[in-house]
Amino acid sequence: MTEPRNPSMSSIPQTGPAHTDSSSPAVEMDPVEYTLRKRLPRKLPKRRNDVYVNMKTDFRAQLARCQKLLEGGGHREICVHGLGLAINRAINIALQLQASSQGALQLAANTSTVELVDDLEPEDPDEAGEPMTRTRNNSAIHIKVFYPDPQ
Amino acid sequence: MCPVYQSQACNNAGQPGGVNNVSRPVKPAPLPVPPPALKLGQEGFKKVCRTEEDSPCPFPGLASGVLEMRVKEGSKIRNLMGFAMARMQGEKGVSGVNVSGGGLRQVVFTGSGRAVTKTITCAEIMKRKVGCLHQLTKLRYKVVKEVWESTEGGTSEMTVHRTVPSISILLSKDPLDPQEPGYQPPETLSALWEEREGTEPATASKRSLGPLPYTSFPDCKRVCLGEGVSVLPPH
Repeated sequence: MTEPRNPSMSSIPQTGPAHTDSSSPAVEMDPVEYTLRKRLPRKLPKRRNDVYVNMKTDFRAQLARCQKLLEGGGHREICVHGLGLAINRAINIALQLQASSQGALQLAANTSTVELVDDLEPEDPDEAGEPMTRTRNNSAIHIKVFYPDPQ
Repeated sequence: MCPVYQSQACNNAGQPGGVNNVSRPVKPAPLPVPPPALKLGQEGFKKVCRTEEDSPCPFPGLASGVLEMRVKEGSKIRNLMGFAMARMQGEKGVSGVNVSGGGLRQVVFTGSGRAVTKTITCAEIMKRKVGCLHQLTKLRYKVVKEVWESTEGGTSEMTVHRTVPSISILLSKDPLDPQEPGYQPPETLSALWEEREGTEPATASKRSLGPLPYTSFPDCKRVCLGEGVSVLPPH
């Protein structure tokens, strides 16, 4: 999660020795290069029947884990969560579970917005850059996969 | 995750001091995005057409003319939202008439495949901007028919049927049936988690409301009939 990359603001073709930028107030932009570090998302509830889908684990392994919870684990409902790119995979898992249950399972999906925090750390500690944080939003999905109560 | 970025960072670190280097604007080369699980492109085929097969509306009982925003992979969120927000808030100034006093009552966002995330984002933005919207989310597989043509001979043609996950989100100013799976009451942005941590009394109280007799629907139908057309927004 810590791939360093250059924010777009860093690629300013302003050359010259460091520490001169403070004397030129006309230039609002910041010549200091930053490393972008993405923090992990906020801690979310983790019960036995919560499954957080990611893009690193093999798809079939995550699907098998859900199947195990519903069949062997004795849970009548599980909750599949996906954030950002993993939304697609979470939906896919939920739909696969439903299809393989021959219609016994139902889905109830909710969506939400998750606030994420990025840290901007100056590349060169000698330059006058301050560490900064930046927040952004990402979409998330929460799918309840459950056996409906017999009525 | 992104090896391209990583290798670039290494190059940067290797440069001496970072002073007076020819600061080539470090733009990452356009990332080649390989289409997942599709190798046809490399075998001399190109996609000439992609059609989604018609599937019934996931929201039975919905007015037929409701505004449907079809979100595609390349759709710009600002285009989609500019259009949809104007319709939901009522177009003031268009021929001097404020249409039905406050815009449409309902909107549906649909998207499939790689547009699913964008679809959710649109719905989330609208919920935040409009406020007090009831939401119903439906998931299903959609069959997409793709026609691939050989780039060499031009004679052979292939038709591929693929199933892609798709999402449909109904946002409504009027109350919806809370018992319907996938229902979300207004302003659940933060309450979503607290409700779940407590053991079920929240859902029990929701159940006690009973099936909602859709009292407000005739009214909304009247609004939608004059207004709603399924519109493909500009890309």
